[in-house]
Formats: sequence, structure tokens, C-alpha cells
Amino acid sequence: MMNTYILILLILFGGAFAAYFLNKLAPILSGLTAFAATTIATILFYTQVKIGSQVQLTIGGINLEWGINAYSWLFSFIVLGLGTLASLYSIQYMQNKERQGYFYLNFLLSIGAMMGILLSHDFVSFFIFWEIMTWSSFLIVIYNGKDVKKIGIKYMIFSAIGAYAMLMSIVMIFAETKSFLISDFINLISTTGFSNHILMITLLLIGFGVKAAVMPLHVWAVGAYSNSPMSYTSVFSGALSKMGIYGFGIVMLAAMTYVSPTISENAGSGYSIISIEVIKIIFQWLGAITAIMGTLYALKQTDAKKLLAYSSIAQLGYIITGIAVGTKLAVMSALFLAVLHGIFKGTLFMAVGAIERQTGTTDMTKISGLIRKMPWTFIASLMSIIALAGIPPLAGFVPKWLLYEGLITSGHYFLVILLFFSSTAAFLYCYRFLFGLFLGQEEEETKNVKEAPASMVIPMMFLAGLTLVFGTYPGLLFKPIANAMEFVGMHDVTWNMTVLSNVWGDTVSLNLVSIAIFVIFISAALFLFKGMRGTRYVTTKDISTSGEIPTENENLTYQLDFFKPFERAVAPLYKRTMDKIYNAIGESLEAVFDFTRSIYTGNGQTYAIYVIVFVVILLIFKDSIF
Amino acid sequence: MVISPVHYIAVPLLAAFTIPLFAKIHKELTRIIPGIVLIYLTYVSYVLMSKVMTTGPIVEIIAGWKAPWGINLVYNGFSGFIASLMSIMGLLIWIYSYKFKKVDDEPALKFYILFLMMVAGSIGITITGDVFNMFVFLEIVGITSYSLTAFYRGRDGAEAAFKYLLIGSFASVFLLLGILLLYTHVGTLNMAQIAERMHTIPTSVKLSIFVMFAVALGIEAEMFPLNGWAPDAYSQAPGPVGAAFSGIVVKAGVYALIRIIFTLFDIEGSLQFLIVMGLITMIIAEVSAIRQTNLKRMLAYSSIGQMGVVLIGFGIGTTEAIFAAIFLMFNHAIIKGLLFLSGSFLVYNDDKKQIASLSRFGKKLPVVSFLFALGAFAIVGFPPFAGFWSKLYLLLAAADKNLIFLIAIILMVSVVEVIYYLRVVGKLYFGKEESKIEPKKPAFNSLIVMLILGAIIILVGVYPDVITGFIHNAADTLSDKATYISNVLPSL
Repeated sequence: MMNTYILILLILFGGAFAAYFLNKLAPILSGLTAFAATTIATILFYTQVKIGSQVQLTIGGINLEWGINAYSWLFSFIVLGLGTLASLYSIQYMQNKERQGYFYLNFLLSIGAMMGILLSHDFVSFFIFWEIMTWSSFLIVIYNGKDVKKIGIKYMIFSAIGAYAMLMSIVMIFAETKSFLISDFINLISTTGFSNHILMITLLLIGFGVKAAVMPLHVWAVGAYSNSPMSYTSVFSGALSKMGIYGFGIVMLAAMTYVSPTISENAGSGYSIISIEVIKIIFQWLGAITAIMGTLYALKQTDAKKLLAYSSIAQLGYIITGIAVGTKLAVMSALFLAVLHGIFKGTLFMAVGAIERQTGTTDMTKISGLIRKMPWTFIASLMSIIALAGIPPLAGFVPKWLLYEGLITSGHYFLVILLFFSSTAAFLYCYRFLFGLFLGQEEEETKNVKEAPASMVIPMMFLAGLTLVFGTYPGLLFKPIANAMEFVGMHDVTWNMTVLSNVWGDTVSLNLVSIAIFVIFISAALFLFKGMRGTRYVTTKDISTSGEIPTENENLTYQLDFFKPFERAVAPLYKRTMDKIYNAIGESLEAVFDFTRSIYTGNGQTYAIYVIVFVVILLIFKDSIF
Repeated sequence: MVISPVHYIAVPLLAAFTIPLFAKIHKELTRIIPGIVLIYLTYVSYVLMSKVMTTGPIVEIIAGWKAPWGINLVYNGFSGFIASLMSIMGLLIWIYSYKFKKVDDEPALKFYILFLMMVAGSIGITITGDVFNMFVFLEIVGITSYSLTAFYRGRDGAEAAFKYLLIGSFASVFLLLGILLLYTHVGTLNMAQIAERMHTIPTSVKLSIFVMFAVALGIEAEMFPLNGWAPDAYSQAPGPVGAAFSGIVVKAGVYALIRIIFTLFDIEGSLQFLIVMGLITMIIAEVSAIRQTNLKRMLAYSSIGQMGVVLIGFGIGTTEAIFAAIFLMFNHAIIKGLLFLSGSFLVYNDDKKQIASLSRFGKKLPVVSFLFALGAFAIVGFPPFAGFWSKLYLLLAAADKNLIFLIAIILMVSVVEVIYYLRVVGKLYFGKEESKIEPKKPAFNSLIVMLILGAIIILVGVYPDVITGFIHNAADTLSDKATYISNVLPSL
């Protein structure tokens, strides 16, 4: 019998090529193939695979080991679940677009590669799949052909820097342990301490940090997220960025929690300044800064895609902070948010994609009042936005509660303030997103807009429904999270199916909250519905201006310059962007490159002189050179 | 007839000189005979390599004169591997260029004669066991390369060939000088015997001789600062010749340099010298490549850069590192071969060979563009393509010797490599506006060759074990100097 892991990967990778070639017959076939492949892989995975089983392979004299553990099991939800739904969504979204074969090839390749990453127990296969994921997502990022140089190449440069940092770390780990197994790396750290291996750990963290879009490695993310087709962006932001979190967790959790206390106390011969604590603090702060900056930039956007992209960066910042704090509560909230972010950001990107498909634009200043045209999309967006903002009864409330409690109990008061600021500011862009797209006045341009087809609405609604389920019964997610945390060495994680409690004795019974809110919601709806008969629709021109006639330049819509006072208040924060710094570095490097290139003058005489000078130098200094 | 390594040299040389005669019988024979010869050489490689893998090295004595008096050919794991690689590359390039200059028979005749001699000479450099013999082959390769560089009559080609000739003549002079000096001190030209007597030469003389050899062969191996000829020669020579330069000729140069350093001389610092020179070569070449607007020049610089990495691999000097370096040579031959072959179709109708001119060729030339992209992905070392494994092994070997700084530099340069290759791929598929130039559709035979190379790249990438056995054997052979000597000179 063929091993299930290999079978799953074969289905995904084989499906990728099948999708590519079937496109020649009929474009719709590649979409269906992608959906079939992800569905079969998902079914196989959850029926056939058991946690703990593994398989060994030897390629090129290197032993590879594939298997699944509780920790990777948790992330498989995001990859397979979101992958399947996104591929269903994709069928109609990509309809009538060109190069569908190309798109689905890379779509399936990247999903297969993500699965491969989760299956890898050794660094070589981890890296191989990581790179496949990187280049296949790169190929999708440049799919639209827009700004290949600015967006695509930038993504690739950062990915390459990250990947090569990781590769360097991997070979260093091998030189030390003579093994590629990730578990041996964890053993190495836990037996010899953290600070003796600071270089390899830093390099690994850089590698993962790029994918997780941590400041200051985040500059590629906005362009890449907003530029790829939305059906992929939901996977890109929802699942692919979580691979960075996954790796980050391996280093920050598994490797750290197993370090025996005696070693961490006497840590560091020579590098004692950079201990575990320092690294933790650095990433806590980087995470918090990422969260704040992401939020602030999201506020400024008028394009819904970019807004969501910045919001993704901000959310990843919370996750990073949670993991870096490293207490049970914080980690639990981070992992919860990791899964949840896949759900609601996946939905939101899908919703924006639906709007883009139906209206042709995602610019929030151009469209508005879609609520009656696209009601299902609106409901899905509304639920996801509520989840994103962290309002009960939807699931976003749970990690927020846990994270604040985790930070307060571990004494990170300043971080609490930062994150609180950021999540409050997040309300503003959440509101803008909903208002800009769905509420407000209906415009002439959107008169003939229709709801997206069912195969696009179903995945959105399904995911939106999940936010309610996990908001009411967070225990459904706590269970695998607790298992995952057990696996990475954090034992005795307590959780409850429906009740959140904290050390101060407060408890929140979520199903009661849900029921209460639900009742209020239903009765309000009934009430409104009853009163609906008496309402009349207000047309665009029917604006009450209290008798004053608005002038030309008076702002009647809230879509433009919505948060101007706020933006003005935080303006200094916008000034220095990492982008500018990187561009400056790039330009100076180009100057250096140009200078170096001029060594090759193209003149035969110069080359002859080089040869002679070289020989003379060698002959004169031969005794000292050799 | 018993197949022996002599056939590698004798058959193509004989064929090269008799092609004009056959051409009198039928014009098509001009094209067919080189093919038959190269198929035969590939067959010879197959037979001999299977013999080497089972029973060990083959030492062929020419004309009954035993070593150290006569010339001998040493066909062991390393030289055999490189020679086989050269004959296969030769065969593929022949298929690719079968219709080359179809309308014009006179240049075709010249092309095939020169090409056969170039392959024969390169293989000769690889399998000979005699330094003077090596010099002779180097001259054959040199002269044929100069002529092929200037194959397209025109100012640029002539200029490139002249530069090549100028620098190449330095190589000849220094090599000859080195051989002379060596002969006066050890009184033999046989490599094994030289190696065995090397310790008798005074150090300072030995170093001077080494400098002569290193410079002469460094020119052929495209070592900085001796590689000024290379970008011009690559970009002016016809497409298949560019592939042959990177797949065959440079390999011969690197092989000779490595053979000299590992077998002939016993200088401790020579390995560090290789690392440093390889590093400088790599950095300067890759950095220059990123600023190129001419596709062929870009490929040429990248080729130089890769040779730098190969030198670093050999310079690290452990068996694992040598393994990685030989793997890298193999990968470079197939991948850069594919890039040159597909690239020359992409810029076929653009006189300036501009990268900008192939904007959106992905639609017009889907297969060629795809293969070029595949080659680009493979050469920068993306898994699951062939280039990844050699890079991984090289870095592992470097990490094993704790050369952290070296790893960092190699990887930083790799980022540069990623940028300029993906820029071309991006242009190919998603360029801003469609190029006005009509691309040339590849002929069937050329397409087959590119597909074969692409298939090898994927096969080796997914399952490197198909090739690692040979490379391990090659690496073991190279690092075992004593066995080399005892194979050639059994009496000692």
C-alpha cells in the first residue's frame, strides 16, 4: 500500500499538472481539477492519517522523514480547509480569465508545498517544500502582469533572503548535529542552550519572519497580497503566511520550552547578552510594532484589497507577539488567532474578490451601497469584520480576551497598551471597509450589479459560519490547540468548551453570550422587518442639509478622507517607511554593481594587462600567498 | 574491436579531417558524420563508464610505450565522468544544430569540423595523463574556439575572437613555460611521475611553476581576473557554440586546473587560493550579470560566476565538497546548456540580443519560454530542480569545515542571481508591452534537445540518485592521489 502522505502530495502535485494541461481542453476543467484534488486530499488526510505516523525516504543520500504531529495537525486545518474552499471559490472567480492553467498549476503546487511543509520532519524536505511554495506563489503574484518589477521581484528578493537565511541555518545545524531532523535541532538547543546557537536561530527566524511579514521584513506583503488574484490571496494571506508562524513556533516554542532551566540560567559563553529573553523581547516588540503600523496603514487605504493586506500584516503582528511572549495563555491565543485569521481574512479576501468580479473595482471611493445588490457577500463580510474586530459572539473575541489576559498576567503592560491601541484603531478600518463597500448611497455605476454566483458565496458563508461556531464553542479549537501545545512542550493547558475564565475569577460563558446576542438580533430583525412596510427608499439626491445648499467641495460621502483628523494625528508615524530605506539600499547597491561591472571594460588590452598584473603579483608574493 | 579511451580522440579527429572528402560524395554527409561520431562517443562513454564503475580505472598506453616514457590516457571515475558528460553534451548540441546554416553548406562544413575538433580536444585534455599532451589538446581547443567565436563574419565577432586569441595566447605561453620549467626539474612529462617526484623540486621554483600553470589554466577556467575574453566570446559565438563553451570547453579548463592542483602539486595554500579566487570570480561575475541588458552576456557572466562556485567547491577540498563541485559542474553543463540553447532562440531575431526584446514571448514561443524559465529556476537552485542539490551539498560541505562567512557570501550572491534570472522570466511572461520582434520558431530537432535537457533537470532534481553514484565515484577518485599514481605506474 502506498503511504497516505505520499499519496496526498501526489494528488496535489499531480493535480497541478493535470490542471495545467486540461486547460487546453477547456479552462473550466482546470478549476474543477483543482477543486477535486484539494477535496480528495482533504478527505484522505482526515480519514486516513493518524497523528504520529511517519514515513522515511532516502533521496540523494539524505534521509527524509515525513509525518504529522499535533502541532502540524493544527495548521493543516488552515491549509486544507482554506485550500479546498478557495479552490471551489476560484472556479467561478477565475471564469473567463486568461491563463487559468498557469494559475491552477501554481495554486495547487503551493497548496501541496504547504502540506509538504507541515509533513516534513526534517529540514531538507522542509526547505524543498518551502521553496516550491515560494516560487509558485511568486508566479501567481506576477499573474496579473502588473508591476512585475516592483511587486513580484520585491517579493522574490525578500523570499530569497529569507529562504537563504534558513538554508544557511540548516547547513549549520547539520554541521553540528549531523542530522537534518527538526527534533534533533530541538534536542541540540535544549541540551546546549539557546545562546550558543544564536546565529542559526536568528537566521531561521529571519527566514520565517519574511513569510510572516514581521517588521521590517514586511514590505513585500501588501503588493503581493493585493496583486494576486483574490481567490489565491485568501490562501496567501490566510494560509501561506501561517507557514511563517508555523516555523516561528517551532523555534520559539518547541526549541525554547524544552531548554532545561539549568542551562538557560547559565546560558551563554560569550554571547550571554543575547539570551532567550532578549530574543523574546525583540519579537514581542516587533510583533506589536507590526500590529500598530499595519493598522495605521490599513486606515489610510482607499483600496479594499490593500486595506485587507495591511490588516493581515497587523494580525500577524498579534500572533508573533503572542508566541514571543510565550506564556500558555499568550501562545494559546496566538494559535487560536492563527487559525481564526485564516478563516476571517480568507472570507474577506473572497468577499473583495466577489465585489471585484461583479463591479470591476475594489476602490472604496468608487463603489458603495452594495448591501442590497450583494446581500450574502455583505453578511459574510459583516461576520468576518466582527470577528476581526474581536466583538463577541464571534470568534475574534476569544483570542483577544486570551491575549490581553496573557499579557497582563505576565506583566507586559506596555505591550497591552500598544495592542489595545492597535485593535481599537482597527475598528476604524473595519468600519470603513463595511461602510465604504456596502453601506452608503447606491451609485449609478453599481446599478446593475448582481450577487456573486453560489459557488463563490458558499465558501464565504461557510467560513463566516465557522467564526460563529468557534465564537460560541471555542473549545472545538482549543482541543487541537492544547494538543499542539502539549506537543511543543507546554503541558497542562486548561480549556473549556464554552466558558472563558481568567485568573481574577471572571468568567464569560460564550454560548450564553451568543444566545443573548442572537435573541436580541432576531428580535431586532423582526422588529425592523415588521416596520419595513412603512419605510421608503431614499434616493441619492434626497439629502437633508438642514436648509443649506452644499457647495461643490463639501464632502458628502464618508468614503473619502474619512479619518482625516486621525490620520493627521498619527502623520509622523507615516513618514519613515521601511520601503524608502530599502529603496535607498537598493540604489546604492546598484551604484556599486555598476562600478564593479566597469571592471570588464570590453577592451582587449585592459584584459591583457589584468593577466600580466595578476601573474606578476602572484610571482612576487608567491611565498606569502601559498 | 575493443573499445578504448583512444577512440575518444582518434575517431573525432579522423572524422573531422575526412568530412571534406565525404562532403564531395554527398552534401548531407557533412551533417550526418559528426552525429555518427558523437553517438559512437556516447556509446564509448557508456561502455567505459560501466567498466570503470565495476572494475576500476582504465589506463591506456599509446603505441606500446609504457608510462612514464610514452603518452598514456587515464580513464578513471573523475576523468571518465567529465569525458562522458562532454560527449553527451556534444551529441545534444549536434542534434540541436543539425539544421544550422542549412542553406549554406560551406560554413556548415567549417562549423562541424571545428566543433568536432573542439569536442575531441576537450575530451583529450580530460583523459590525458601527460602534461605536454594536455598542452597540445589545449591548443586544439583554443584554435577551434577562436574560429568558432568569429564564426559570424562581422566586426563584433572578429573583435571578440581577437580578445579571446589575445588572452588565450597568454594561456599557451604560460602553460608551455610551466611545462618547460617542470621538465627541467623532474625530467618527465607523465603526470603520475611528476606527482611522485614533485617533492624533489625546491619550494620557490615549485611555486613559480605552479603560478604558470594556475594562470594558464585559470584563463581557460574563466577565473577572475583572467576571464575578460569570456563575455565577449559567449555573446558573439553562435548559440550552440555558447552552449558548447559552457558545457564542454570551460569544463575542460576547470578539469585541467583541478587535476594540476590535486594531483601534480602538493602546495598547501593552493586550496585557499582556489577558494579566494573562486569567491572573487563569483562575486564580480554575478554582480556584473545583474547590470546586463544583453541576454547572452548575462548568461556568460552567470556562467563565469558558476565556475567561481565550482572553484570554491574544489577549494574546500573535502571529499564532500569535491562531490558538490563535480555535481555543480554537471548541473552547470545541462542547465546552462539549456539556457543558452533556449535563450538563443528567444533573441534570435534581435541583433542586439536585448533582454527587453523578448517581452511577452511566453505566448509566441510557449515551449521555449517555459524551458528557459525552467532553466532559470534550476540554475538559481530552486528545488525540486537539479541545481538545488549541488548547492545544498556545497553548503553542507562548507558548513562542515565551519566556513560560515563563505556560506553567507555564496547565499548573498545567490540572491543577486535570483533577481536577474527572475527579471528575465518576468519579462518573458509579463512584460509591459509585446515585443515588436517576431520570434523564430525552433526547429523540431532543437526542441527535442531542449526538452531532453529539461527532462534531465527535473529528473535529477526529483531523484538525484540517478547521478550521485557516478559523482561519488568521481570525487573519491580525485581525492585519492596515491591510487592515481599506482594506477599509471604499477611498478612503483
